[in-house]
Amino acid sequence: MEVTGTMSTIIDVENFGKRYRRLDVISNVSVTVQRGEIHGLIGPDGSGKSSLLKAIAGVLDFEHGIIRVFGQRVNSEEEAERIKGRIGFMPQGLGQNLYAELSVEENIDFFARLRMVAPADLETRKTRLLEMTHLERFRERPMKHLSGGMKQKLGLVCSLIHQPELIILDEPTTGVDPVSRRDFWVILSQLLEEYGTTAIVSTAYMDEASRFHRVSLMYKGEMLAQGKPQEIRALVSGTVVVVKASSQIEAFAILKSQYLQVQPIGHHLRVFVGKQSSEQAESAVKGSLSHLEIAECYSLRPELEDVLVTLLIDRNEHKNVGSGPVFKTMGRKNGKRNGPAIVARDLVQNFGAFRAVDHLSFEVSQGEIFGLLGANGAGKTTAIKMLTGILPSSSGNGQVAGVDMQKAAQTIKSRVGYMSQAFSLYEDLSALENLKLYGGIYGLSGTGLKERIEQTLALTGLQGYESEMTQGLPMGVRQRLALSCALLHRPSILFLDEPTSGVDPLGRRRFWEILFQLSREEGVSILVTTHYMNEAEHCDHLVLMYAGRSVADETPAGMKLALRKEAGELLELTVDRPVRVLEVLEENGLSDAAIFGNCIHLLTKNISDTVLKIRFLLESNNLSLHKVDEIPISMEDVFVHRVMALEKHASQRQQA
Amino acid sequence: MTRFLWFNRLRVMIRKELLQLGRDTALLLFIVYGFVFDVYLAGAGFTFELRNAPFVLLDNDRSEFSRELTGRFNEPIFRFVADVQGAEEAMGFLDRGKALAGLEIPQDFYESLREGRQTEVQINIDATNNVPALLFSSYAEQIISDYGFEAAGMYPKGFSESDIFTLPQVDDQVRVWFNSNLKDSWFMAVIELFTIISILSIMLPAAAFVREKEKGTIEQLRVSPLSPMLIIMPKILSMTLVILGGTFVSIFFVIHPFFDMPLHGNLPVFFLVTALYAFATAGIGIAAASIVRTQGQVAMLVVLLVMPMLLLSGSWTPPEAMPDIARKIMIVSPLYHYFEAGLGIIFRDAGLGQIWHSILGLSAIGAIAFGFGLWHVKR
Repeated sequence: MEVTGTMSTIIDVENFGKRYRRLDVISNVSVTVQRGEIHGLIGPDGSGKSSLLKAIAGVLDFEHGIIRVFGQRVNSEEEAERIKGRIGFMPQGLGQNLYAELSVEENIDFFARLRMVAPADLETRKTRLLEMTHLERFRERPMKHLSGGMKQKLGLVCSLIHQPELIILDEPTTGVDPVSRRDFWVILSQLLEEYGTTAIVSTAYMDEASRFHRVSLMYKGEMLAQGKPQEIRALVSGTVVVVKASSQIEAFAILKSQYLQVQPIGHHLRVFVGKQSSEQAESAVKGSLSHLEIAECYSLRPELEDVLVTLLIDRNEHKNVGSGPVFKTMGRKNGKRNGPAIVARDLVQNFGAFRAVDHLSFEVSQGEIFGLLGANGAGKTTAIKMLTGILPSSSGNGQVAGVDMQKAAQTIKSRVGYMSQAFSLYEDLSALENLKLYGGIYGLSGTGLKERIEQTLALTGLQGYESEMTQGLPMGVRQRLALSCALLHRPSILFLDEPTSGVDPLGRRRFWEILFQLSREEGVSILVTTHYMNEAEHCDHLVLMYAGRSVADETPAGMKLALRKEAGELLELTVDRPVRVLEVLEENGLSDAAIFGNCIHLLTKNISDTVLKIRFLLESNNLSLHKVDEIPISMEDVFVHRVMALEKHASQRQQA
Repeated sequence: MTRFLWFNRLRVMIRKELLQLGRDTALLLFIVYGFVFDVYLAGAGFTFELRNAPFVLLDNDRSEFSRELTGRFNEPIFRFVADVQGAEEAMGFLDRGKALAGLEIPQDFYESLREGRQTEVQINIDATNNVPALLFSSYAEQIISDYGFEAAGMYPKGFSESDIFTLPQVDDQVRVWFNSNLKDSWFMAVIELFTIISILSIMLPAAAFVREKEKGTIEQLRVSPLSPMLIIMPKILSMTLVILGGTFVSIFFVIHPFFDMPLHGNLPVFFLVTALYAFATAGIGIAAASIVRTQGQVAMLVVLLVMPMLLLSGSWTPPEAMPDIARKIMIVSPLYHYFEAGLGIIFRDAGLGQIWHSILGLSAIGAIAFGFGLWHVKR
């Protein structure tokens, strides 16, 4: 009876198309997923990932195309019913499919009963899954008291309890801290290997591409590229050159006129040079900056985001984002005040028994871009709320713009600009009406207000959007409009709370350019929070936050350097059976390794010795090793390492 | 300078509220419905008068006298539905709700009257809705006793019809003040207008406030140099303006032209009292909105607040007819004070001398509610 020929193809989507309100939001999307594969759907918000996943799960009607799962068509509801027992689905959002009041065990039992799992099977599976996910200790704990990462792990357990052949995960790692995220990927790989399950997983984080066996890159409802992560990276040839010149602004202006992709990263500039080898590219960049002093210049391999942006530029998408900023100093430069712009000293915030911020201290210098990096719930927003005076701190104090945050909240409020996660715009007002409202609130009126609005719109590149209703604006434009509103009164300090979540890479890059200009040209001090690890590289200075605490306080480059000194270089091993390899490595004392798709990442101080040891270990275990590369350390590596060290330290102290 | 700043902030915030309201089609439709159609419907369609009351007749006598009596139950107050043959058939009409009452005339009706004997007629009334039932019985009583009085005069002593009025009798001369035709459309329309004002003046500012909470824009306002007063005040002021506008339209373009209601009172004072009332109630709305999270909760809260306000306002039942405890609680219902003052001005041309205590009550309630809302936002 078995049709073995088609059995290896689990999902087969042909020309899928979906319409909302008579608009084609997704068109001509085709995907195939083979048995045992972890397939990644990568794309910014609004690219159609969720719709595609829901259609595959049989819970969304669609207009065009054919979807086959296990060789069975799922174009109608009855058809979908036939496959639902064989799939597991985890919707977007932390713990979205779970019941907050039920305990970990009750949640699992509920899903097992729903799926009619035999009691004996349930017990063995539950024990095994809880053990793998390290949730064993928390059996009795109500789901609402779990951390974001634990919720996602529990969600995974609940969608796997009936041992589905296919598991569909919609953005399981969004907003989860990097340590839990790493954990999550390892568990997923292990589970899939153990049960032979196939997975299709969506994510908005570009840097997660290497976690998958194969990747589909989506943008605005279209399929941009498909293949193995390496294949997609190879779609665009070129080099990323990182350069540090004597005048960053001047260098930026010059390079911007010659290359389409130039990003200020801290005090460096990151240039994508197409179709050239690293030597060619470096000398070309140096040549363009011949009259400047070049302190540093090196090249990197392009990341997936560079590929995506290049593909988008090929499609002229960058024109929709607006022209780059005009670099001339506009308006008053903030006079150099002495002392730091923001000081936080031992800030503590307790919500009942829960400590959201735990003795947080940091300093933001005048005119720098300062980042607070951490997962959802790490305490970033709470810290900002205390500093801007809308939430009294439980203890500790702070100074903003030279005044005490507790004594002069009102003064602080008139000196700072603030932009929040939700972009805080009135959606039923037009762009201009929003600007006029905030201008009025901050004390501007008449011609002064009019001039200032024009200046700000020129800076953020929003001329022409004035009369449009905010509701209909794309996320990237809304984000810049919110920034414009926060800038009208020429604040010397800007607080930006997760300003880029939900904005696509082009919009994000554009946004960071504006922030760069504000800090470099107008001397505005910027405090920005983010949970995008790679975005943190834009900051001049960073504080990593974990569970309300600061775990590192340094420049991004300094953090990486410190990690290199402490733990060595990062190796990437390309292997066939990563889960097995990881086990072997761990058994032999190489414990800091992590799974990335078909690769293993590992930090080591002594490269040659370690490589020899690994080769020996894998050979003696009959495991193949295709390639060993030295790759640059990412912010995520830093974050994970710092938190692990902290946890190790804490558990040692407990034992002592 | 700072005063200019304060007023400029107030101005831009009020402008923002009005713009937002102007773009909320659903809310606008609700406002138009309330001030125009609802008030009209209440005045035109809602009545305490007896109209077209259906009745069936069981006439066992079938004489000229019985015809004369039943002929007096005529339209537009009564409506004859059917001539029935037996008591059971009559009850059937009542059971099915097809008739409000059944009128039964005995077999010896003609004879009894002719011979100067006392006789009885029977009326069965469906009192499911007690108001028309009560009205039916009292109107019927009046008709029957009038007829009885005439019959008693004419038979058997033989007075002529004109002679009856020479007999000694008490003549009651009723003077009806303030609504001389006893038109209940006036009262009903005005009561409904007051109810609409109550609902909207709680709902509009509360909805505007909660919308900011839902969208997260309230955070942005709190980080800006706006004082809590400047966050709340513009919402109340702008919504009070909208309500005054609606009231103006309702009085001058609905109640006055459609129901011919004369506008005797001092209207500027009426609008001032309305503004004060809207302000006080908006304070309650804001105070309530500061403890809820979603628009849905606001809707529930409005019902929860408006119902007791209405029941304790004296609109459906005069305070004198209420139990003691209820009468004491009434003074905390702003609608009670507004009724006292508003009805006084509109119908009785009351001046400040008559309504000062209501104004005092409204001011006190408004100040307490507003203070609570302000305190809550500050926290």
